[in-house]
Amino acid sequence: MDQNADDQRETKRPRIYNNKQRGKAVNKQPIEDTTNTSITKQAILSSFKSYRDTLDAHYDQRERVIKCSRDITALSKKIVFTLLRITQDGQTQVFDEAERKHKQVVELFVKISSDLRGTDAYKYNGQATHGIQEYIEALGLWTFLKDNRLITREQVLERLTPEGAQEPLVNVTESDYVLGICDLPGEVNRFCINSIGKGDREAVKRCVAFLRVMKEGVALLLCSGKIKDLDKKFEVLDSSLSKTEAAYYSMSIREGEMSAMDVDAPPPPSSGNQAVAAAE
Amino acid sequence: MDIQVFVDLQDTLDQESSLFDAIKEAIKELNKICRIGSAKLSKVHAVPQSQTQEIIDAIKPQFAEIKQKLSTLAGFIKPVTFFKYHDMWGYAVQSACALVVFSIYLEHSRLATPEDIHEYLGFRVNTTNSDISEFVITLEEYLHSVVSMFNELSRLAVNAVIAGDIKRPQEISTFASELYSGFQLLNLKNDALRRRFDSIKYDIKKIEEVQYDLRVRGLIS
Repeated sequence: MDQNADDQRETKRPRIYNNKQRGKAVNKQPIEDTTNTSITKQAILSSFKSYRDTLDAHYDQRERVIKCSRDITALSKKIVFTLLRITQDGQTQVFDEAERKHKQVVELFVKISSDLRGTDAYKYNGQATHGIQEYIEALGLWTFLKDNRLITREQVLERLTPEGAQEPLVNVTESDYVLGICDLPGEVNRFCINSIGKGDREAVKRCVAFLRVMKEGVALLLCSGKIKDLDKKFEVLDSSLSKTEAAYYSMSIREGEMSAMDVDAPPPPSSGNQAVAAAE
Repeated sequence: MDIQVFVDLQDTLDQESSLFDAIKEAIKELNKICRIGSAKLSKVHAVPQSQTQEIIDAIKPQFAEIKQKLSTLAGFIKPVTFFKYHDMWGYAVQSACALVVFSIYLEHSRLATPEDIHEYLGFRVNTTNSDISEFVITLEEYLHSVVSMFNELSRLAVNAVIAGDIKRPQEISTFASELYSGFQLLNLKNDALRRRFDSIKYDIKKIEEVQYDLRVRGLIS
């Protein structure tokens, strides 16, 4: 009966002590039945255990980078939304808020940088690139609105270099940079449409000029042909440019109509004081 | 003025272009030799086990060439950008490792270790996640090449019976199941390695079916 009890027991959980030392738990590890395990099998199992550890650590690191990249993406998008409110909230407020959010993004970059050191930078670039691209898009829009020019890769790296540090927090590859700025046209287009609503002719002109330069530039890069999916981005860029040009066109036409109708048409309000215009 | 940004970028990308081409060429060469080696080694499926050794000996020149081609490829890669171009040669390196793994099984009836790979191919297998300071074969490439062997083993089991080695499938079956238990220890994510791992069970099944066929006909005890 004892034997039966034993047999039933074995299938349920491993014994913590073998038969001979019954009652004395020598160690708490379940003893593996190695009597039937050949030398080759033991060698295989032992090697694969160490491979498992290596792979586990690698996958964990990859996950951390993915999660951090997602957070960077989310926060960068918030910066973009903040910047697009410039047509209603004005420069100062918007740039201040962007600066505040930027500090938070930098903290995220500090976090991700510990997993992107040395050769890991390229190893996990595939996972980090999305966040980096969104960040570049946010910075790009910011620089366009503030200084009316295109941010360079070096300037992105500068923004990612903390005070007194020698190196930027993360590396930004040419590919990260190009794909990042290629998402600008969509946002510039939104800004353009908003500006038309405010009658800001100058802003619309700037948008069109900027996008035309971008199109020319990206077309050049397509000739070098080494950046993945650049052709699809180019198509989106082109369509954003078309929309922006169409918007500029309809704005110009309307002005023509307005001045043709003369007297009763209010002058297009300049960006700023609508109250003043109404009072005139 | 903004356009200058793009002109400079284009220069950088163009300079990289010649490196890309050199790497591609080296990979092409490597693939060619691997294919020749693989074709020669496939002959073991057609002969009884006693004749295996001469086939293994016959591919020694291929291994020497593979070592050399791999070295040429490695010469183009600076360790700091190792992972930038790594996906380009993944398949070629896997093929080379697979040849080593299969040869060593045929000759010594055991799994080729990273040390064996180092000896045959001239480069270390990076079994840890440490920083790369030289050209290495990644752990995933090594594991992929080991997975490739299961397919060879299941074919070998079938062909052993055809060649009259009816005791051989048992050895193959034991080895395959030991190797599979090793693989089952890994915690895989839903990537290429996982998909290939999932196909191992079909090879195991095939080998077991060969065993069953032999046993049920009383050809083995």
